[in-house]
Amino acid sequence: MQDTLAQLERGESAIITDVSSIHIPLKLLEMGCLPGNSVKLVQLAPFHDPMYLNINGSHLAIRKETAAHILIEKVTHE
Amino acid sequence: MNTIIQNILVFTAVVLAIAFLARKFIWKKKKSKKSCGGDDGCGCH
Amino acid sequence: MSKQINVALIGNPNTGKTSVFNALTGLNQKVGNYPGITVEKKEGVCKLPRGVKAHIIDLPGTYSLNASSLDESVVIELLLNQNDKDFPDIAVVVTDVENLKRNLLIFTQIKDLKIPTLLVINMADRMTYKGISLDIEYLEEQLQTKIALTSTRKKIGIDKLKELIANYKDVSSQPCIDISKIDDAYFGNLRKAFPNQLLYKLWLVITQDVNFGKTDRKDFDAVEDFKTKSEADLKRLQQKETIKRYQFINNVLKKGQTIDATQAKDLRSKLDRVLTHKVWGYVIFFFILIALFQAIYDWATVPMDMIDSAFAFLSEWTKDNLPSGAFTDLLSEGIIPGLGGIVIFIPQIAFLFLFIAILEESGYMSRVVFLMDRVMRRFGLSGKSVVPLISGTACAIPAIMATRNIESWKERLITILVTPFTTCSARLPVYLIIIALVIPEGRFLGLSYQALTLMLLYLLGFGTAVLSAYILNRILKIRSKSFFVVEMPNYKLPLFKNVFYTVVEKTKAFIFGAGKIILAISIVLWFLASYGPGENFNSAEEIITKEYASENLEVDDLDQKIAQYKLEHSYIGIAGRAIEPAIRPLGYDWKIGIAILSSFAAREVFVGTLATIYSVGNDDEETIKNRMAGEVNPILGGPLFTFASGISLLLFYAFAMQCMSTLAIVKRETNSWKWPLLQLVIMSVFAYIVALLAFQFLK
Repeated sequence: MQDTLAQLERGESAIITDVSSIHIPLKLLEMGCLPGNSVKLVQLAPFHDPMYLNINGSHLAIRKETAAHILIEKVTHE
Repeated sequence: MNTIIQNILVFTAVVLAIAFLARKFIWKKKKSKKSCGGDDGCGCH
Repeated sequence: MSKQINVALIGNPNTGKTSVFNALTGLNQKVGNYPGITVEKKEGVCKLPRGVKAHIIDLPGTYSLNASSLDESVVIELLLNQNDKDFPDIAVVVTDVENLKRNLLIFTQIKDLKIPTLLVINMADRMTYKGISLDIEYLEEQLQTKIALTSTRKKIGIDKLKELIANYKDVSSQPCIDISKIDDAYFGNLRKAFPNQLLYKLWLVITQDVNFGKTDRKDFDAVEDFKTKSEADLKRLQQKETIKRYQFINNVLKKGQTIDATQAKDLRSKLDRVLTHKVWGYVIFFFILIALFQAIYDWATVPMDMIDSAFAFLSEWTKDNLPSGAFTDLLSEGIIPGLGGIVIFIPQIAFLFLFIAILEESGYMSRVVFLMDRVMRRFGLSGKSVVPLISGTACAIPAIMATRNIESWKERLITILVTPFTTCSARLPVYLIIIALVIPEGRFLGLSYQALTLMLLYLLGFGTAVLSAYILNRILKIRSKSFFVVEMPNYKLPLFKNVFYTVVEKTKAFIFGAGKIILAISIVLWFLASYGPGENFNSAEEIITKEYASENLEVDDLDQKIAQYKLEHSYIGIAGRAIEPAIRPLGYDWKIGIAILSSFAAREVFVGTLATIYSVGNDDEETIKNRMAGEVNPILGGPLFTFASGISLLLFYAFAMQCMSTLAIVKRETNSWKWPLLQLVIMSVFAYIVALLAFQFLK
């Protein structure tokens, strides 16, 4: 079972591995939410939703339900 | 003489005002059904 | 003759595009609407070196040429229509040095349309701060363009930009990307079917839902050997296209841009840690709101009082110094008080726009959207509904237009329907004058009762909006996908120039837009109040003199009585008394009734109307407020504006849907008469009932 962006915790980073394009608006892709790009969780609103992200250098906020359609691989800091 | 001029001025002002309001709220409405054109007439933006 | 060239400014939101526009055009700008739609169209003129004049259009901010809103469609429609009179000779893409990667996406798209394109890399002053360095020469070569490195804050690079625009003929129009590489077979067919057309242009026509003049979508069905694809397939291709563009951009920036992260100072994350904090974020937002309302109320009263007395003086002066007659009366009793009723609110409206402009410019508004999304969703709204609800305190019309970036239709519709409950600036005049009349002076916890009342009214507006959203969310059965993407821009110190232009432009539009209506209504009202039909009106003097002959009244008192009698039998008096039975249970007399009726043109007409009605036949130099305070309740005696009737009036104005322009805009944005009519009926009936209950309970 792969992780989704919705499971990311504050301060964690990850690499986007896949984006299910049917559930994701084109606008989000255009803002850099594409496979291979890095993503970092900057801040969470109460209830883990919405999520304030830094994707590929762009800062944006999306809802948790959208984030659940973006597959990621967490980057572990040693 | 003075009274006549003043009355004429009043009359013109009133007619102009009515024409303006009619154009703004009545005539424009009809047009907006077709093309929804023009400025919205609020002006507060 | 010097040639005028067309320049289009294009770019992502939050790149300082408008600052560049302001730097180029100064106050030589004009804000209008695109024909047929209410997207704001900003254009201006700029003098360039060697006598070239440029006509500059500031196009709405957009992330790409794939339009998802009306504002964005405007950009594509212009760029695809070579016959448009505004079709650019040169496109200027404005980017933010900190977000270059993302900002370049639209640059590559415009290049692929083979339009000569300049690149502005703005906010260059932040480069050292962020540890960014750029190889401009390399970038110019790879992107096949000319680059102006600018900082509107430090006023750097604008002359260079003007120079580049003036030499627009030297700018390359070579595309960046070969679109056919995405799907050889598909684009090969497309090229075969339309050999003379630009491939990327065709691709946009296929994927976008906009109006393209001659090239129509139907043409694609007509061509036999070309079959277009299903929507899902098209979207997959668009995704491929986007990936391809980013590959290109990444390659270029790998060499052309170096970021030394150790040099970067990160004010942003420090501010975000506090401003978007789970607790502090909300506390700070609440205090900002309180400060806003206290300021609007407290600071603005000084200039307002001055304006009020100035108009009273002007009115008196006109009467004394111009030859007496009907027209002088019209000036002093109709036009001047009517104008006063609008000019007096300039200070407040300017303050309001000032605050909103600062909140937007600084980037704080996006943080509020982020903080409020979860809360708002509970009521069927979106975090983005906060912006309409806050800017609705200025005017519901731009607020309703600001709902366009709400992705979900249901959330957007609900926002549109409830926004008119927020206390718009047109209600402010009514509130202020009534509060001044019926709410006693005094302080509670350092805040004046009057300011507190005003704040309560604002809270009431927001509360009703949110509550009705909750109800609508339950009732409306609309299924729509809920997307939510919001950019979190960098924090910026608002540029004085930008804020100043916004405030001046909006205030001007408010004064001249609503001002004309108010002026016209004052003239008509004055006429209706100064003339009347039949015996009662024409021989008012004799009737009253006879009636009070035994009482030995002073001349002044007698004149007053005559004027009153005339007013009651004028056209407006007759009309007013006809509707009086309907409004008497709310505690109003027929004069207020007339003011309410005329408020349907614009709410702020209320004060002007009362000012006009009360001045007719009144010779004293009086301010509007004093005149209103002096009004006597015709039946009960005592002052007309009591606590009960005042509160009832405040509540009526808080809830009633009294703005034709808002109804018109709702019709346009929802594309149906159903919603605006529903708004009109429900809001007005609700207002009547609440006002009725309030008066009956309090009296």
